[in-house]
Parts: sequence; C-alpha cells; structure tokens
Amino acid sequence: MNIGFIGLGLMGRPMALNLRKAGFAVNVWARREASLAPLRAAGAVAHGSIAEVAAASDVVFSCVPDAPQVAEVAQAVADGARAGLVYADMSTIAPAAAREIASRLKARGVVMLDAPVSGGEVGAIAGTLTIMVGGEQAAFDTVLPAFEAMGKSITRVGEAGAGQVAKACNQILTGVGVAAVAEALNFARKSAVDPARVREALLGGFAGSRILENHGQRMLERNFKPGFKAWMHQKDMGIVMDEAHRLGLALPAAAVSAQLFNALVGSGMGEDDSVAMLKLFETMSGGAA
Amino acid sequence: MKIGFIGLGDMGQSMARHLMQAGHDLAVWARREASAEALRGEGATWCASPAELAARSEVVISMVTASADVEALVLRDDGLLAGFAAGAVHVDMSTIAPGTARQLAARYAERGVGWLDAPVSGGPAGAREATLAIMVGGDAAILEKVRPVLEVLGRRIVHIGAAGAGQVAKACNQMIMVAAIEASAEAMSLAAANGVDVAKVRAALLGGSAGSRVLEVMGERMVSRDFDKGVDARLHHKDFAILMAEAHALGAPLPVAAVVWQQLNALMARGGARQDTAALLTVLEAMRTA
Repeated sequence: MNIGFIGLGLMGRPMALNLRKAGFAVNVWARREASLAPLRAAGAVAHGSIAEVAAASDVVFSCVPDAPQVAEVAQAVADGARAGLVYADMSTIAPAAAREIASRLKARGVVMLDAPVSGGEVGAIAGTLTIMVGGEQAAFDTVLPAFEAMGKSITRVGEAGAGQVAKACNQILTGVGVAAVAEALNFARKSAVDPARVREALLGGFAGSRILENHGQRMLERNFKPGFKAWMHQKDMGIVMDEAHRLGLALPAAAVSAQLFNALVGSGMGEDDSVAMLKLFETMSGGAA
Repeated sequence: MKIGFIGLGDMGQSMARHLMQAGHDLAVWARREASAEALRGEGATWCASPAELAARSEVVISMVTASADVEALVLRDDGLLAGFAAGAVHVDMSTIAPGTARQLAARYAERGVGWLDAPVSGGPAGAREATLAIMVGGDAAILEKVRPVLEVLGRRIVHIGAAGAGQVAKACNQMIMVAAIEASAEAMSLAAANGVDVAKVRAALLGGSAGSRVLEVMGERMVSRDFDKGVDARLHHKDFAILMAEAHALGAPLPVAAVVWQQLNALMARGGARQDTAALLTVLEAMRTA
C-alpha cells in the first residue's frame, strides 16, 4: 500500500516514521525542509505538493492543528487523488467540521475517515496510540493495516464524525481528570500529607486511573514539559464546549475544566504540559508553600 | 435627521416609534415586509433594500439578532455598505461579537462611513419606556454627532472606548445579569427545598445587601412561575456563546459564567428557548427530581 502523510509535526513525524518502519512506501510533503529531512533519511519520498503526494498514494493521512488546515489539505488531496483514494485525517477537529469535509470529499470521489488519536507524543513514538475512527467500514478495513503501524487500540466508532465525537469524549475525561488529580495532590500536600504516598495508595482503588498514574507522577516530579501542551488541550475543550452549546447539552464539569485551561493559557503556561494545572491551583491558593 | 431603521422586532418597533415621535424622518427596511406595516401606517418610508435605506439616511440604526445577521446586512450585494455615502453613520444596537464589530468598523472606515456598536440593556420594557442603558464603542466624535438620536432611546449613554468596546461592555452585562438570575434561582430552590415560602424570602432579601433588579424582576417571575413574558432565554444562550468564545480566545478564566452557560444549555434542551431566563429555576428543579 502506498501511503501519503501530511503534517510532520510533534505527532505526525513519529507516526509517519512508524509507517516506514512497518514497510509501507511513504510519500510526504512539507513546507519546511527541516520537517522533511528525518523522513527522507528513513526512505520516504518527498513531493512538491500535497496533490502530488495524493497522486502517488492509495491512502493519505494528515495530522494538522485545526479544521481550517484540514479543509485545506482535503481540498489539495482531492485535486490529486486517484479513484478510490482514502483520506484519513488524524487531527482533532469539531465533529461537525469533519462531517462537512467528508461530505464535500465524497462528492469528489474521495472517501474520508476521521481518525483522531490519544496517547500524546510518547504514544506516537512508541506506536501505541489509541485511534478512534469515524467513516465507512470498507475504507476502515482498507486503512487498518496502516493504523496498526501507528497505534495499539484501534476502534471504528461509527459513521463520519464519530471518531471526533469519541475524541471529544476523551478530552472531557482527560480535561476533567487532570484537574481532579491536580486538586487531589495539592489537597494532600496542603494537608501536610505526602502526595506521593497518596497517589500510590489511590492507584490500587476505584480512583486509580491512567491519568493519576502518568500525569500524577509528572506532577510529583514537577515535570511540566510537554507531552500534550496546555494550549492544545484548551483548543480541544473549546471544541467540546462549542458542541455542547450547539446541541443544548449541559457539561458542567467540563465547562469548569475549560476555564482552568483558559487560565493556564492566559497566565503564560500554554506551552507547558496540561499537568501545569497543579501550578495554577497552587498559585490560586497562595503559592506552592 | 434622516434616519434608517432595521430590525423591527419586539424592541426595534418601540425604538423606531420613539424616533418618529421625536420628529426624525424615518425610513425602514425589513426581511418580512409585513413587520413594517404598522410603522408605515404611522408615516415611515419603506425602502426596498438595505442599500436604498443607507443611501437616503444620515444615520442607520440596526437592532437584529446575531453577528451573522449584522454582517449580512452590511456586506450583502445590496447591503448597507453598498448604499452609504461618506460621512453617514451605522449604529448597530444588536448584541454581537466584539470581533465582528471591529471588522465591520474597519470595512466602513475604508469608505469614510462611521460605525458605532451601541448594544443596550433594559429589555423590551426599557425600549418601550425609552430608558435603555446604551454602551457605545467607536469614535467619540461620531458618538457626539448621533448622541441626540440615542438620547431619544435611552437614559444612560456611556462611551466605553474604540469600536468593539460597547460589545465588550454588553458581554460583561450579560455575564453579571444571567449569573444573578442563576443565583436567584438557586436561592429560590434552596428556600423551597426547606419548605420555606419563597415569596417571603424574596421580599425580605430585596431590602438587604442581596437585593437587586434581577431578584426583583426575575425573582417575581420565579415566585409566580410565570416564565412566558420577558426575554427569550435563547437570546441569553446566544450571548453566552459570544462571551465564552472571547474568554477562550483571550485565555481569561470565567468559572462561574461557564457553569451558568451549562445551565442555559440544559434549559435549551428542556425546550425553554422561548421562556424567560427565570426558567433556569426549572433546570434546578429537574436536577433535584432526576
């Protein structure tokens, strides 16, 4: 299978490299030569435009910041696509935007999957991402071997947009979860109890979670390096809250969490990992004591 | 003064009528011609398009629902921008996003047309009684030029700052007001849960530090369970999307507003879009019996 990959950033680069490692022919395009170099070195073929990448590929992946960029890539893919090409976008965008782009592409003979991921840069490098897919079953079956080169848990959730709905649910859980873990550890510390021991004890019970395990550990180490940048989580919470508004759906817990991410970005911690939530709570209550 | 008016809804009708009664030469345009019938009967001139209205007016006032409505009104092929002569002024009194107001002000400036964003607070009653609070963004000199016109419509006219600043003030107004409605509803809900007479609680509180216009007006609607008059909750719901988008864009945390927004979302889901926002009380009641 010939693969195209657009968006060779923090997440996209290791994902594309894993596709090469699995033996797929990989076609790439990027604005900056620096983004292309590691892929070239791994045997990927660089092209002069996205349309040229599409013309050489059976499946094109993209991993870009937001909906306008996805729309742009989708347009260029359709310009170069051979009949039967599948376009799998792995960015996180609004479900409504994913549905709209998919239907526009369908009219031009390109099948689209929305396939956002969870697992961060670590998961992208290790090839252990969780991939949530929306779109036609047949296209999913076609792309599955390539998904398997990038991720471990791959689920077709439903029709177009369903992958983005699942990702929004994922962001509700992680957005609220990271705030809850930061509050709990800050509470323990302010109560003069060792937060590391609290974490240790809780991991065995019903409050045990991946977030308590991973994010909790990084909070204890005061390691705020991304990971997953707070401003990106803020963007994703914005998508969630817009959907809730559109649907007339109350998400009270997510709403507060979204405000905490606003505060993180507003106080200059947008480039930190989301675990910087801990610093925010410390500051709110008079510092890290 | 030759004034054009667009947006003959609940509030716009009263406002347009005040302008005519103050002796201004009023023309109107409306999407549905029927909505202008009453005013035409009272002497207002009908124009076939926003452009035609703009061409004959020194000042055009608009009072419509959403950012997209104002944008279309200005930028469509036969829109206001196409009709205005240099020196004319568009005063938009709708509640829209500050960003939209700034963009439209810039488009007009290229053509030498003035812009004010002048959203109001006071509701249909304030429009009827010409007691609206008007918060203005835009050039101070332009405001001075149209101040006599605004004085016909409202009592308190405050220049907040440059274009968009009026809408920022309005967003702050909506945030405080709807949060106060939610707080009033929660107080009513707590009183009722205790089996205490909510009317007496309201009456007592009005005399003290928690007394407010919201507790007075919306509180009364909660006590009498009359949610059919007042301001459609869907309009506040729309306003919250604007102000929460601003908070997101600026990285400003609004934790209380965020929860109030969710209660509004729930009210929409329960079919309360056209009820008064005092119906936020019913969301709390539903949460208690769930």
